[in-house]
Order: sequence, then C-alpha cells, then structure tokens
Amino acid sequence: MTKKIKNLKEFSLSNDRYEGANLMCPGCSHNIIVREVLNATNDPVIVATATGCLEVCTAVYPKTSWDVSWIHIGFENAAVAIATAQAAYEVLKRKGRLPEATKKMIEEGREPKFVAFAGDGGTYDIGFQSLSGAFERGHNFMYVCLDNEVYANTGGQRSSSTPIGASTTTSPAGTVSYGEKMMKKSMVEIMSDHGAPYVAQVSPSKWKDLVKKVQKGFEVNGPVYINAQSACTTEWKHAPEDTIEVSDLGVESCVWPLYEIINERDEHGIIYNTKLNITYRPKNKIPVEEYLAAQPRFKHLFKPENRHIIELWQKAVDAKWEHLQRREEAGV
Amino acid sequence: MAKDIKDLGWNELIPGAALFSFTEPVEDVAEVPMDERPYAPTNSHEYSVGDWRVEKPVFNRDYCIDCQFCWVFCPDMSILSRDKKMIGVIYDHCKGCGICVEVCPTNPKSLLMFPEHMDNDEALSKWPSKEEKKK
Amino acid sequence: MAKKYELNEVEVWDGNMAAAQALRQAQVDVVAAYPITPSTPIVQNYSQFLADGYVDGDFIMVESEHSAMSGCVAASAAGARAATATSSQGFALMVEVLYQASGMRLPIVLTVVNRALAAPLNVNGDHSDMYLGRDAGWINLCSYNPQEAYDLTLMAFKIGEDLDVRLPVMVHQDGFLCSHTAQNVRPLQDEVATEFVGEYKPVNSMLDVSNPVTHGVQTEEDWHFEHKARQHNDLMNSKKVIKRVFEEFKDLTGREYDFVYKYKMDDADIAIFALGTTVESAQVAADKMREEGIKAGVVSLRVLRPFPFEEVQDAFSNIKAVAVMDRSAPGGTFGALFNEISAAMLAAGKSPIILNYIYGLGGRDTTIEHLVDIYRQLDECAKAGERKYPLQQFIGLRGPKLSFY
Repeated sequence: MTKKIKNLKEFSLSNDRYEGANLMCPGCSHNIIVREVLNATNDPVIVATATGCLEVCTAVYPKTSWDVSWIHIGFENAAVAIATAQAAYEVLKRKGRLPEATKKMIEEGREPKFVAFAGDGGTYDIGFQSLSGAFERGHNFMYVCLDNEVYANTGGQRSSSTPIGASTTTSPAGTVSYGEKMMKKSMVEIMSDHGAPYVAQVSPSKWKDLVKKVQKGFEVNGPVYINAQSACTTEWKHAPEDTIEVSDLGVESCVWPLYEIINERDEHGIIYNTKLNITYRPKNKIPVEEYLAAQPRFKHLFKPENRHIIELWQKAVDAKWEHLQRREEAGV
Repeated sequence: MAKDIKDLGWNELIPGAALFSFTEPVEDVAEVPMDERPYAPTNSHEYSVGDWRVEKPVFNRDYCIDCQFCWVFCPDMSILSRDKKMIGVIYDHCKGCGICVEVCPTNPKSLLMFPEHMDNDEALSKWPSKEEKKK
Repeated sequence: MAKKYELNEVEVWDGNMAAAQALRQAQVDVVAAYPITPSTPIVQNYSQFLADGYVDGDFIMVESEHSAMSGCVAASAAGARAATATSSQGFALMVEVLYQASGMRLPIVLTVVNRALAAPLNVNGDHSDMYLGRDAGWINLCSYNPQEAYDLTLMAFKIGEDLDVRLPVMVHQDGFLCSHTAQNVRPLQDEVATEFVGEYKPVNSMLDVSNPVTHGVQTEEDWHFEHKARQHNDLMNSKKVIKRVFEEFKDLTGREYDFVYKYKMDDADIAIFALGTTVESAQVAADKMREEGIKAGVVSLRVLRPFPFEEVQDAFSNIKAVAVMDRSAPGGTFGALFNEISAAMLAAGKSPIILNYIYGLGGRDTTIEHLVDIYRQLDECAKAGERKYPLQQFIGLRGPKLSFY
C-alpha cells in the first residue's frame, strides 16, 4: 500500500523502524538513506544487509538497531539472501504457513517489502555475482546500494566504485600518483541491462526524489536497484555537518545525476519499452571542481601537476550528462 | 529478561545469537511511535551514544518554522518530531554531527551547536539575533 | 499441494535418485542449488519432480554454490524448510556459508556427494570435501549405499529440526560408487515418509512482522566464545536426538542405524575402519580372512559429527590391530580419522596397534585385494604383538612405496 507523502511535514509523521544509538559515524549518509527508504512505506519490511559499515554498526551483540526483521549472512550474498527470503515468503504464503500477524497484514493489502542494503564493495565488487544472479532470476525485491565509493568499513580501500583521482588507502595519492586511476563502474546501467523493471539513482539530500523512487520501486513486480549516493565523512574526509551539502554539490554538478530507467516488461523478463527519465535538472550546473574541492580525498588534484585530472573529471561528467539527456529525449 | 544480558552464561543465550527488537509482539510497528514501543533491553534504542559529542545541538523554539529539514536529514533518529512539529533533540541518540544545524533554514537558526558542558538555558540566552556568517 | 508419487515396494535407484526422492518426500519449502558433478542429478531429479507437480515448494537455480547455501540460510531464517546438494569444489565454495548456517542454528539439510578437491581437478569420489567441512559445526551422517542415502536424508530433517538440536545436517555418499550406482531401494510411501519427517517448526522466523528479529549479528571477544560454546554443546548433545530418531526409524522400517557401524566385531582381533562404499568392500575382505581363520571385522561411522567417541572406544576395546583408512589427502600429517581414533583409544587406556592408510584419492579403485593386504599386515602385527609396518602408508599408488614413520 503506497504511503501518502505530499511534503516533508507529512513525511515527518513517519515512525522510524531504525534505531538510534547505533554505531555509525556522526554525519553518516548511510543512516539518512536507510531512514528515507524505510519511511517510504508503512508496510512491513524485511531487510538483508551485506557485511559493511551498516551491518557492523547496527547489529553488534547484544544490541540491534532494527525494528524490522533483519538478516546478515556475508559480504557477497545480500542479494541472494533477500531474494530467497522473499521466495520463502511466497511458498509459506501459498501453503498458509505464515505467522498470523503477517497474514493479517496481507489481508489489509500491506504485503511485506523485501529490501537489501549493501555498500559499493558488497555491490560493485564482491556481491556482484549474487546480485546479477538474483536480478536475472527476477525475484521481487529492492536492492539499495549505499555507494560511498570506498571500502569504508575496512579503512578506506578502493573499490570499483571509487572514482578517478580519489586518494584511498590502496590507491593513495603520492609524489608520483594522483590516486585512483579508473572512473567508476556504471552500476545503474548495468543493473538496468539485467532487464530490471526499475532502477534509479538517488541522493539522500533530495529526500523527496528518493522517497518517490523507492515507492515506485515497491510498486513494481521484480528486482529493483537503487544506487544511493552516500557521502562518507570518514573517507571523503569532509566535516560531519557537511554531509548534505557535499551530497548536494554532487547532484548540482551532475557528478551524481538523479535519474531512473524503467523497463516495461512482462513476468518472463521480455522488455517491450525502455525509458530513462532525468528526475532532477540543476538550474545552474556547477563545475565539478566545486564538488571535488569540498572533499579532502581529492585535495591533491588541486596541485598543478594533477589539475589535468580535474579537467578529465569535468569531461567525463559532461559526457555522461549529455548521454543521459540524449537517452531521455530519445525515449530509450 | 530478569537478568542483565551481560550476566548470562553460554547456556542461557538464544541459540544462533538472534536478537529481538521488542519484548512483546507489536502488531503494526510503523504505526507505533518510538516512545510507545516495548523495546527489548537488546534494542539499541535503550542505549546512549551521547558521550560521543563534544558539541551538542540546542533547539530554540522561538525561530523554528517546523520545516522538518532537521528531522529528515538527522542520521541518528535524534530529532523528536510529533504531529508535524519539531519538539527537540534526543540527546541519548544524538552524536553531535551538526547536520541539523547546517540544514536549518531560519534566520537566525533554530538549532545551533554549543559546547557539550553548557547548560541549554545558558545556550538559549546566548542565541544570536541574526544569521551567522556561513563558514 | 504436491501430487503423490507412486512408488514400488522396491525401486532401483542410484544414490542421487535416492537423495532426491528423500528431499521430495520431506516437502522442502525452498531448494536453492547449483549443479556440480557428481551430485548434479539430485537437483535435476528434484527439478523434474517440481515440473511434474510432485513438489509444492520453490526450486531456485542460483548462480553459485555460495549463493545456494546463502539462499538456504535466508530461507531457513525466514521460517522455511531448506535443503540443497553439492560436491567437491562446490562444497569448498560453500564453506564460508556452512559456518554461518550452523552458527545461526538453521536446520538446513545438505546432501553431499563426496568428490576429490582440485588441484589437479578430479570429478571422482574421495572424502576431501567431507573432511573440509568437518569443523563447520554441522551434524554429519555417512551412508554407504543408495538405501542408506535415502534413509539418512529423511532422518536428517527430523534430527536437525528437533528443537533441542536446531543444527544443519549433511548426509554424505560416495561420488559415483554410490551416487551413480543403481541398487535396490525400499522407499517409504509418500505419506509415511512425510509424516515421519513431520511438519517444519519455524524458530525465530524473520517473517513474523509483529516480532522483528535480527539474524547474523556480530559478536566480538565478549560474546563470540559463549555462542560458539553453546553451539558446540548442542552439537555434542544432539546424540540423544540422533539416537531417538534412529530408533523411530527402526520401528517404522525395521532398518537399524547406530552411531558406529560394526561388522563381525564381536570376536574380531583385527579391524578395518573406513567410511563410505569401502565399508562394503571391507566386509567382503573380512569374510575372506575369516575363511582363513583370521578374525577380521569392519567398523565405520554413521555419525562423523558429533564424533561418537565412546562408541568408537567400545568398538575397538578388544582389538589387537586397527587400520584406519582416510580417503583424503592428509596435507602434512596423519589422516584426520586416524588422529581421532588414536585419541579415543589413548583416552580409553587401550593401545591396539593403529595404522593409517591413505587410499582411493580421486576415485582410485580400492579392491578387495588391497583390503586383504591390509588385513594381512594387521594380522602380522597382531600376532607379533608389535607394529611391523609404517604408521602411515599410501595404498594403490604407482611408483615407489610411499610411507611415513
């Protein structure tokens, strides 16, 4: 059942099902994203979480920060975990073996939602096989990647989501290196190309856009991928209070464009129509430099010998933004 | 649970280390405000991370327009909001990140950071009358 | 509702079909699986049962064994009966999740068709995969033929799901020699088997939306030890339930199972200890020895974990010489079962001569002659009252004799 959220005041009536006194860093975007996702619905939610910051900070025995059922198995299997829990749900529903409270919810038209949270390490890298398999099989769940572009939980190593020029503990900037050499993977397009009915990129700073997309995702049948920008105060090295500002800079510079790709498809995964919508268009697209300057992980790029990387960055962002606009115009 | 969980021996633990959120069933969790839930002693809600702070956000009702920016962007469920009204900061759960202050749009701000040891009344007495210069 | 499968009193099944039929009769809610030789036919047969309406559950063909076991864990935590099958490399890929299944106390059933581990790659039977998983905290049941693979798979659900146990269970059978060898099997009729296994009783189900539960927590130095201790304790104590289920199965079928399998041990002077299909060959060899007046016996385990320490001590209490056969490359020490049996006998204050034989790696045939040779070595030691051969010998190997100590 879609929750009516007209404006922020209405959204603030939500009763969080994610608890305080978890151990996430002050100013962590992961928490803001998890709140916005869970509060996008009042239906029951079942959560799987990959090993990572969110997992190690919210379920350290003997404390849990979850008021929804939650499971963590490993680093690389959040997608199959949530997909199979959902499959078990369908079997038990058919066989009449669900707990009474759950049956009652279903009678009220409030079927549980199955959501996986994983970082970019658990998504772009080690969990990719499991994610790809679960999407191909067409299970009915939502996968939210909390993308902070680094292995933050293990001390800031590069992942395949780390963007060019970022200094990480395994792609450090040094006297002869400007840091990470490769631009990040295009996960949104990769997941859309699995034939997923709905994929979207979101930022927690644009809460309404995020909530709307999560709600759309809950409405479709099949696997849904949400790529969430997750500014990391610890590894992007900005001040904790600047999390929302840094996120906004990403969105306003089109480094982190907000868009969705809808594959109109049937239950066999046959796609009849694909369209891409840009859901937020900055009024004045700011230079990428402003986004980079706000994060000390990029500070070495402002040295004369590395300035060419900033230029590369701008080219890459412009090209992607152009590509998105052309796809949107062409309706493909 | 009568005994504090920290005093439990290996033979008294729930097999598989499962943790429950509540002490009794809650039919519709999303409809029950946080302060009315039967939290289990193993729910982090029952704990405090207040000692992580060096500075704390102080709320000034006089300037608040109840926009709820602080509520939506708080990473730690520490803005108490009821019936669309901002009520205050949950200091047990606030880690002092300062996001609420940054996103507050009023002039002067309705939330400002003050040293942890300062009394809130004292903080309110020092409230600036116009917007601080953005850093 | 699943259709009833018409079964004859005696079916001719290989071990894979026997295991697949047991999974079908247990009415598993979720099977998440990935194919690997030689266990592939288990999931193929199961898929066919599903396609023909004999299964009322979900079969999820995942993209790896890691995901197969992960899927079983999640389905089980969600309150469903879950099972899968694997072998060898697939088993190795599952290992991380095997520990999670047992640590989270989820009664998943895994039918393992034992096969060698690469490198070099090999698809044939040995016990490398069984040994790899032996510390994973699962109950391990061992079968020697298709009938036993069937029986033990049915019993596995009842044992693992018992509320005093709540542990995952592996049922082992030898690759090819059991999995692909058709033999007579006397199955239970569907309704009898299903009733024997019983309804699945979910514990701490994630799907009870009124009672949210957190599964798969992190425990550090202040909690991990207590949870592992609890798990070990419950695994050790699962013997009571295993015994009870063996008895119930005997009452139902007349087929008798015990922790330790013994053949002609009442008056034996020497004994071969082995696992898997070799147990049946060893019985033939023992009979040959007995024709010569040598009192030979055979001992095996039905339950590898929890290790039946006292039953092993009893089995060898009057034995003069024992050959402990390990069908897994020992990797720099003695075979694991040699060590365990030696420890049991030392603790019992008994000192039979115990020799370790490494055999049958990668499906190398172990013949009656090999086993007779072993008995002759044991007989020589028993008669001399002292060890006449190296402690560890490789048998059936080309090239110069390989032995240690």
